[in-house]
Amino acid sequence: MTEDNFEEFLKKAAQGYNAPSARTPREDMWSAIQAQRAAGPRVVYGGGSPMRETSGRRFGSRIWLGAAAAAVLFLATGVGIGRWSASSSAPPSVAVSPPKTVSPSSSVEEPSGAPGDAALSQTHGTPESSSSSAGVPNVGVRPTNSHSGNPNQLALSGPPANSTPASAYQLAAVRHLSEAEALLTSFRTRSNTDQQMDAQLGSWARELLSNTRLLLDSPVANDPQRRPLLEDLELVLVQIVQLSPGSTPQDRELIEKTLQHDHVMTRLRTAIPAGSQRGS
Amino acid sequence: MEMVAYESRSSVNDTQLITRVVAGDAAAERELYETYVDRIYRLAFRLAGEDELARDFTQATFIRAFEKLGSFRGESSLSTWLHSIGVSVALNGLRKTKRLRNREAPMEEGLMIGASRKEAEPDLKERMARAIDALADKYRAVFVMHDVEGYTHEEISGTLNIPIGTSKSHLFQARSKLRVALADFAPEWAS
Repeated sequence: MTEDNFEEFLKKAAQGYNAPSARTPREDMWSAIQAQRAAGPRVVYGGGSPMRETSGRRFGSRIWLGAAAAAVLFLATGVGIGRWSASSSAPPSVAVSPPKTVSPSSSVEEPSGAPGDAALSQTHGTPESSSSSAGVPNVGVRPTNSHSGNPNQLALSGPPANSTPASAYQLAAVRHLSEAEALLTSFRTRSNTDQQMDAQLGSWARELLSNTRLLLDSPVANDPQRRPLLEDLELVLVQIVQLSPGSTPQDRELIEKTLQHDHVMTRLRTAIPAGSQRGS
Repeated sequence: MEMVAYESRSSVNDTQLITRVVAGDAAAERELYETYVDRIYRLAFRLAGEDELARDFTQATFIRAFEKLGSFRGESSLSTWLHSIGVSVALNGLRKTKRLRNREAPMEEGLMIGASRKEAEPDLKERMARAIDALADKYRAVFVMHDVEGYTHEEISGTLNIPIGTSKSHLFQARSKLRVALADFAPEWAS
């Protein structure tokens, strides 16, 4: 038994393996080829029930579509991560207090180191603080042309450039309450016979009334302590606005009773952080 | 063998034929088809074992060849390039239909055996077919092309895109496995 014999035997016996027919079906296959090429997509392996073959071009287009989808997904993920990281790295929203200016009218007994101080440091040195009239007594004096005296400016005197809308509302609220405190202090210390002062206070109260309404409709009013204060302040301001030059002492007494009964002044001073800009 | 006739075609003829086909000459397409279809069909049939599949593989081979002929760079002969497509189409197609073939094997095998009983011993024929079918694709393709269809290792190398040494190695492996599978028939080749 030799290798040559085995190879010869194998070749001879294997000739019958899948032996094709003697005649190649040339015409049949040519017709089928022409028909398939005319139809467009190639058909293979089907015999009577042809099935479409995945052509290289189709496969290529799928790859490109997949790559495009992956690129879009990658881009969207990157943008999302960027936005998320930007929002998470932004400075936390803090309660913003007005710029640190010392006013002689400040009568708040809040100790230093209170939470308000921390907030204060956030806005220290802002344009508001630099433009404020620090050290100018404002009790009994209606700010007419000053920056904070304009009610519209009070409501819209935007926050520092790097603060959030919430902190802007807080700043406006504190400034408004400070001005209200100044108005009420002026009201309580005025002379009962000074008709001209009544007119000025009425005009001042009217301006503060509109801002009070705006704050009541703002996120500031969501504070469970600040909202009742603003509502009581609104009531007092309405009473002051209704004071006419010929009003009786009883009218002013009613206002005084409201202030005392609701502890409006105390609550106002409590709501204003220590060292904040009062009535400026 | 038929291979000699096809190999006798000069590369100049092939180049001219390819140029005409790429230019859209329908007669050239038919000429190319007529030149190579017999051998492609035979090889497809050897690998598939069914006329229906062999036709499908042959048709797919020429359709693909006509589509890609424009990118044919002449690095191999047109015959080798066509056979390469044909073997690739056939082996890929057989993998896809392998499960179906396995299910239908008993019935088809019975038909084939019935047709060949006239010439060979039924037991040897059947055992041989089963043994060759059991070979891995890479061994079976080389064995069929070399020992059954008479391709040279150079041609197999070009067609299957494998080194010549690998072709020889695959053939040796195929023969060894068949020798074991057909050990019962040792007296026939020993005598």
